[in-house]
Amino acid sequence: MSTIITVGMADVQTGQGEDILMTPGLGSCIGICVFDAVKKAGGMAHIMLPAASGHSEANPAKYADTGLSLLIEQILALGAIKSRLKAKIAGGAQMFAFANRPNALRIGDRNAEAVRKELKKMGIPLLVDDTGGSFGRTIYFSVSTGNLRVRTINHGEKVI
Amino acid sequence: MLSERRLDALREIGNIGSGHAASALSDLLQRRIDMSVPKVWMIPFEQIAEVAGGLEESQAFIYLHVDGEISGKAVFLFSIPSAHALVKELFHTDQELDLFDELPQSALKEVGNILVSSFLVALSQLSGIEMQCSIPVMAVDMAGAVLGAILLEEGEIEDHVLFIDTELFGFPAIEGKFVFLPQQGALEKLLGALGV
Repeated sequence: MSTIITVGMADVQTGQGEDILMTPGLGSCIGICVFDAVKKAGGMAHIMLPAASGHSEANPAKYADTGLSLLIEQILALGAIKSRLKAKIAGGAQMFAFANRPNALRIGDRNAEAVRKELKKMGIPLLVDDTGGSFGRTIYFSVSTGNLRVRTINHGEKVI
Repeated sequence: MLSERRLDALREIGNIGSGHAASALSDLLQRRIDMSVPKVWMIPFEQIAEVAGGLEESQAFIYLHVDGEISGKAVFLFSIPSAHALVKELFHTDQELDLFDELPQSALKEVGNILVSSFLVALSQLSGIEMQCSIPVMAVDMAGAVLGAILLEEGEIEDHVLFIDTELFGFPAIEGKFVFLPQQGALEKLLGALGV
């Protein structure tokens, strides 16, 4: 029996065995999925903004840098081995394009860049990068297989 | 936190503004549109999508920036069936048009433009503060994705979000919501101008 665990906005959750982690309605936010296929343990972070620096913030799960650290810490606490960890990410869309404000609104891209940079820093290989576009995503992540199912309203559904 | 007196003032602002918006929609469609008493909410940002019935709930969103002496964000959301009904009435057709196509989207954006302009005219008359709205943009997508992106646009987010939320109904088949999110500082100015 697999359990579906919901990951909210600015939230980190982990699972083991057949657990499925799910986060609904990612827009410019990013779902970072990390797993150890041997240990069959993994987790998901739903981050909203690139970096915590400059923000005196109570919730580390809000940001790419602090959110990823928290996620890794929690996965390792389940007995996963750091060198076996692999990552998949989805989200980072640009939901709207305001013609007169081209740069201010690229939070989706900035989030994706920040997540890639943090993963690299931690030496975690990024297997799948399904970011960008201008549409929302709901994602389901199997911690044992690493399969990531991405559902959209008008851009189909796929497992990557 | 806001005092009861200030909350009342915000509800009244919402009432007058949304009343203007509802009557503009009514003029446009040549039929009766009713509205609820506006709610003034202060909620943690994680719960913002509950306004639209859940993170994954698909809706049509029309979004405008409000700029001027005070700034904010105005969002109209319609259920997918309501958006279809609106488009059919605007084009005087029984044909189901694809909401992702340009033509229905530009018609819905124009509706958003007219409604928000009416809302702002009412607010300006009431407060003496000048406000304009941006060119509307539109998305048909999951509430979490759209509202999240709207809130996060500036690259930061407050722990709690204040907004005024009014439901609009037209029988048959139209159910929508108008949400106004004042930016930081806007609230003080608006309430100050009203002497509250």
